[in-house]
Amino acid sequence: MIAKFFQKGVSRRKFLGTTASAAGLGLVGSTLPKRAFAADKTVKVGFLAPLTGPVAAWGKPGLDGCEIWAEWVNDAGGLEIGGETYAVEFVGYDNEYDPAKARAGATKLIREDGVKFIMMLGGDTWAGVERVADQTGMLFSTLLPSDLGPETTTLIAPAEVHPVYNVTGVEWMAEQHPDLKTAVICAQDDALGLPSVATYLAAFEAAGIEMQQEPLLFDPATTDFAPVVTKLISDNPDIVCLDTCYADYVHPIVEQLFQQGYEGQIISCTADFYDQMVEKTSKEFMEGFIFQFPDFDDPELNKDFINFKDPNKFFEVYNERHPGEWGAVSWEYASIMDLWAAAAQKAGSVEPDAVLEAMTADGSGKHAFGDADWWGEDLFGIDHALVGNWPVVRIEDGKARIMAYKSIPEWYDKHGELLKKHMADFGQMWNQRG
Amino acid sequence: MPRSLIHVLAWPLLGVFLIALPHVLSFSQQEILAYLVFNVLLVASYRLLTLTGEWSLGHVVIMGVGAYGSALYTKHFGVPVPVSMLLGAGTAALIAMVLSYPLFRMKGFYFLIGSFAAGEIIRLLWKRYREPFGGPKGLKRIDPMPDIDIGIWSFDFFEPVSYYYFALAVVAVCLWIMWRIERSPVGLTFHAVHWQDNLAESAGVNVRAYRTLAFVIASGFAGLSGALMAHYIGTINPTSFDVEQMVFVLTWAIVGGTATFYGPILGCVVLTILNEIVLREMGFEQMRPMIYGLVMILSVLFLPKGLESIVQRLVGRKPAPGALAEPTRMEDRA
Repeated sequence: MIAKFFQKGVSRRKFLGTTASAAGLGLVGSTLPKRAFAADKTVKVGFLAPLTGPVAAWGKPGLDGCEIWAEWVNDAGGLEIGGETYAVEFVGYDNEYDPAKARAGATKLIREDGVKFIMMLGGDTWAGVERVADQTGMLFSTLLPSDLGPETTTLIAPAEVHPVYNVTGVEWMAEQHPDLKTAVICAQDDALGLPSVATYLAAFEAAGIEMQQEPLLFDPATTDFAPVVTKLISDNPDIVCLDTCYADYVHPIVEQLFQQGYEGQIISCTADFYDQMVEKTSKEFMEGFIFQFPDFDDPELNKDFINFKDPNKFFEVYNERHPGEWGAVSWEYASIMDLWAAAAQKAGSVEPDAVLEAMTADGSGKHAFGDADWWGEDLFGIDHALVGNWPVVRIEDGKARIMAYKSIPEWYDKHGELLKKHMADFGQMWNQRG
Repeated sequence: MPRSLIHVLAWPLLGVFLIALPHVLSFSQQEILAYLVFNVLLVASYRLLTLTGEWSLGHVVIMGVGAYGSALYTKHFGVPVPVSMLLGAGTAALIAMVLSYPLFRMKGFYFLIGSFAAGEIIRLLWKRYREPFGGPKGLKRIDPMPDIDIGIWSFDFFEPVSYYYFALAVVAVCLWIMWRIERSPVGLTFHAVHWQDNLAESAGVNVRAYRTLAFVIASGFAGLSGALMAHYIGTINPTSFDVEQMVFVLTWAIVGGTATFYGPILGCVVLTILNEIVLREMGFEQMRPMIYGLVMILSVLFLPKGLESIVQRLVGRKPAPGALAEPTRMEDRA
């Protein structure tokens, strides 16, 4: 099918707040306007992600962040690569999270626009693009390492190792609150929810936290979360885990937890637009909510080991331009561009194979949250995921604050077999897919 | 120019146009053209179903049955792709036959809801069972159509132009068969079942059997369109065949009109070009859902008989004899 359209989740995009007006004001055309700079050449980078529809919250804010990134780079004179100066221009294509459209988009970006690198959200859409990547050798990035496999030699996951970083939140929570002994978990029954459930189960087991119920998997079409929450908290668990639910689910579930009088700990992968959740519930209720994605005005991001350039300023500019739209992916695609730019400069070339070679050559890279290693053969069949530290974030007085940075590799060294066991139980190991 | 001459020239000209078309398009437009061909078959098969007066909300799921069937036959049994496509279409028809027993105990709105429920059951089964359906992630790395060398012609079916020609040939044959069915006594009986079912029954027509026949044939063609899609994209998942996709098929049929054979096809072609090419090229990438919705509302308000009515006015003719029906619209069914 080629088509998906307005029916798809107009209400879901309410979390983006100003969808129509934003589209009308700032997003008419998804390529950057050309700017005046001293660059000799322009290198084009493709942005192939959902910009409309229910998954747009994990695409559009990323493009907005990339536009800021490119503006900063271009204003500074561009990128020095191989003795020449390049301006960076993003070319967007809305794949609507549809594999067929993703394939058409990849074809356009590669064969018509001449991009040298394509960033994707991944997931279902990667499957539509995989053959194009095979045939063209184009370098792609994904936010979902579950797309990786031994044959995906031109695909990298340099920003987030979803869902493996979720172990850091559980580990930190267990250290800080050893009194929390029982947990329940719910997730949408889809490609994003299931590997995350497996990860949380492993993390809870590693932390000695007992699951009170089987994971509650709800249909992605669910709109009434009252019965879901009623069942979830029926045994009065110490912890309610919201897995990697879309914002459309996290918000109503949290509202239901509030309305049904839950008073325990909540942990989640994301809490996009958490200020709206605070408004709908209360500061007191949201106090202590643990998740994994910081606001970039956090002072903890100014530490020396952080590789993301000027995160506080980035956050400020982003919020000026797109108020109320900061989300989990706002900085991620931009951080991938930092890695790409460094690799292109190291390679002295913007060609995909040279950049990939330079990026992975010494087995390590500068992740946004500190130096990290190319890793993943054990879990994904290929060492194309950049893994290091990940922040644990908690809401305090209505504001997200980084509590600690925890090491994913260290956790994996201790509990890797546990993770593999749960991943295998859910059919999520690379050799169990498709 | 005499009408008969136009008629004689029209088909060869259309053929030349369709053969030449991909060569004047960009690469991404060629991709869209290939998908358009699958969708033309899908929406044309949907019209065949509506001839008997029943509108289904499960047609896209039936398309998915063909896609899953064809993919699984190649994956697990090593069946050659062209054969598996036909088997996928047959599987879709077979499933439709099974579904027809409960569904055709209902009519009108109840059939509509029943077809939705049946479709959802099938879709949820795909999600529930990772073996063999792949669960929520669906099936990936579906075998592609094997490349073909015929003398000086070489067809690499990864390329959209090659696949377009292949799909065009398949769809042309299917459309011809559907057109012949509609013009045959069977097709006329479909119309009779729609508009005068009591009269038809009193004349000895087994109304339920004819409704079932239309449902099964339409499902077979829908299944074939799914199979064509699956082996081109290389991946399918339950979301690819959800009710949102069905809304598109309904939109194409409603905007195009269903009184003529070409009405839904026209709707599909015009709306796809608008959504995928015109709006994207104009830079309205992220406003497309809003504009697309607006166009649909305007067309329903100001073109209640669909785009086909414009064509009829231009060529100054009424619907063809085979299409006895007035435009069959959802609101008529209510």
